Amino acid sequence: MTPTVTISHVAKSFGQVHAVEDVSFEVYAGEIFGLLGPNGAGKTTTIRMMLDIFKPERGEVSVLGGAIDEAKKNRIGYLPEERGLYKDLKLEATLIFLATLKGVSETTARKKAVDWLKRLDLYDHRQKKIQELSKGMQQKAQVIATLLHDPDLIVVDEPFAGLDPVNTRLIEDIIREQQQAGKTIVMSTHQMYQVEALCGRIALINKGRTVLYGEVDQIKHNFAGNAIVVKGQGDFTNVPGVLETRHTNGDWHMALAAGANPQDVFKALAAREGLKIERFEIAEPSLDDIFISVVQGNPEALNA
Amino acid sequence: MRNIWIVIKHEIKVTIGKPSFWLTTFLLPAVIIALSAGSQLLAHSSLAEGGANPFSANSGSSNNKADIGYVDEAGLIKQIPDRIEFGGAGSSVFVVSPDRLRKFSDRASAQAALEAGELQQYYVVAADFLKSGNLTLVDRNFSLFTSLDSSGFFEYIINYNLAGNENLAKMLSNPIKSTTTKQLAPKPARDPKDALTTIVPLAALLIFYLVLTMTSQFMLQSVTKEKENRTAEVLLLSLRPRDLMLGKVVGLGFVALLQVAIWAAVGLTGLNTSGANYILPDGFLVWGVLYFVLGYLLYGSVFAALGALAPNTREGSQFTFIALLPLMLPLFLSNAFAQSPNDALPVVLSLFPLTSPTSMITRLSATSVPIEQLLIGLVLLAATTYLFVLLSARFFRADTLLSGDSLSFRRLIREFRQKAA
Repeated sequence: MTPTVTISHVAKSFGQVHAVEDVSFEVYAGEIFGLLGPNGAGKTTTIRMMLDIFKPERGEVSVLGGAIDEAKKNRIGYLPEERGLYKDLKLEATLIFLATLKGVSETTARKKAVDWLKRLDLYDHRQKKIQELSKGMQQKAQVIATLLHDPDLIVVDEPFAGLDPVNTRLIEDIIREQQQAGKTIVMSTHQMYQVEALCGRIALINKGRTVLYGEVDQIKHNFAGNAIVVKGQGDFTNVPGVLETRHTNGDWHMALAAGANPQDVFKALAAREGLKIERFEIAEPSLDDIFISVVQGNPEALNA
Repeated sequence: MRNIWIVIKHEIKVTIGKPSFWLTTFLLPAVIIALSAGSQLLAHSSLAEGGANPFSANSGSSNNKADIGYVDEAGLIKQIPDRIEFGGAGSSVFVVSPDRLRKFSDRASAQAALEAGELQQYYVVAADFLKSGNLTLVDRNFSLFTSLDSSGFFEYIINYNLAGNENLAKMLSNPIKSTTTKQLAPKPARDPKDALTTIVPLAALLIFYLVLTMTSQFMLQSVTKEKENRTAEVLLLSLRPRDLMLGKVVGLGFVALLQVAIWAAVGLTGLNTSGANYILPDGFLVWGVLYFVLGYLLYGSVFAALGALAPNTREGSQFTFIALLPLMLPLFLSNAFAQSPNDALPVVLSLFPLTSPTSMITRLSATSVPIEQLLIGLVLLAATTYLFVLLSARFFRADTLLSGDSLSFRRLIREFRQKAA
């Protein structure tokens, strides 16, 4: 399958600052792709190169089947990290102006704006200046501006910033809905639980380089500790191949000896009389743990 | 092209949707007219009340009361002329009856008469007058709008006594009765005594200057606000930076023309309804539009570049005075432009591209400018505008529009060197 977005070894400097040194990843149609990294890692610069706002000094960018042109720009929706709306203009007028710049007729833009405003509970505020709206409302307005022209590629940088749990759920639903409609979504965020909930694949950028890239499950599996978690009834101590057993919150956490295989442990437990196993799983670190571990330069720590 | 047109419409809509635009468009001229009319009314009422000038219409020759005293410490005044006539050469001619003069032997008695209300004023010819030329005038009143002795009343009396001859005294007071001026320009300059000779060029200069500066400020605000709001980042995904700049320049250009049209219409209507005989030169409108449009493009593009470089309106505004200084020069020299529009300095400034947008139009409203000067000025302005628009477009890029770097002289010079190279 041809990727919707291909970023290949791109680099970009500003004066003496190397914002991006070597970043590569691919995003496929219909997926939600997570672009992660600490502050200043080069995520925004990478996104700007992807969107042809900046030209890369090295490497190649291919979006929607090749280099970006003016027609392709109309097929992209972009929600920047810092809200990009005219604060002293009225909400509805701003949305219509931005949508018409994306090739939508004023009549269609007006009609669609009304639908979106109603859905995101902003219809009654449409004649207010944007600066009069709350932070959460402004963020929802920015989401509408991103989606109003029905783009094929949606790039969202911190889409949940400033949202309460109810609106966070609403935006999550909208993102999933867009994915189900076949749209490609690139999402940059610091909220790892959102990434785990929404993204199938991720790229982690640190100091201008891609340091982690692939499917979320695979990455977690790769970073899985040499440990298992078991839930059940009976005595789970003194199991062959297990160095240490802790009973916490109803779960048995077992640290395996070097070279021990979780499958062998499972067989040993299954063979033991009087044990009832309700759940058996290989302990996986959270994305949060992986993020911190990679960013702090010690990815092996999670494997220890 | 479609998006450029959308930006043009957006800029027009946003700018004329601002109350500040209509306030400045209508309030500013109204304030200027009100101030001007107010000062005229005050002066008029001051004069109508008799004022302080004892030679005003109300206290003229018909007043035979001896209300002007003098103390002749120098012993110079032997005779008072039968007819005291003074003024002229641009001011009114007054005739005062000699009966109004009353001689006092010393200052104390003159002062006592003044305090008793018998005198309006008295003069003291100092004992050493022939050496020092000192004359003292003591007056009961003070007026903001009229000079106490603007008309040379006592000067005439002294001249009469020094010369001993009425004609010679008049010649000494007012040696040149009339001056005939021959201009080398195709049409004669306007009458310098006519107030409109000064007012019309100044009004044309003010209209051009104010509209150019205001629109340039609108441009600066428009760009810097998009930077501050981070809207630039969203816009750059819809159109190229140069298209964005073009849309802004053209959109605000329409706004500027609208403002000029309103002010010019108000000015011309005022000129016509006042019944004043002031005819603007042929082609004034065409030349005015050409110089204005090029001037706007020149300064608009400079301010667009300034906006692209400044992180916010406040920092950008620090450089506006310097950027607008060339446009202000004719304002400082407005009198020279009105009275001597074909002198070397007004001619040079009207040909120099950075000053020509306001200078040429001021000259054109004051006199008839030779066609070759109009053409040379226009060509130089067009060439400079072209270069400035190209250079400004180089500053209008994603990296500058998305940068939050502070704007300093050092950065401005560095960027200019890089982009101009």
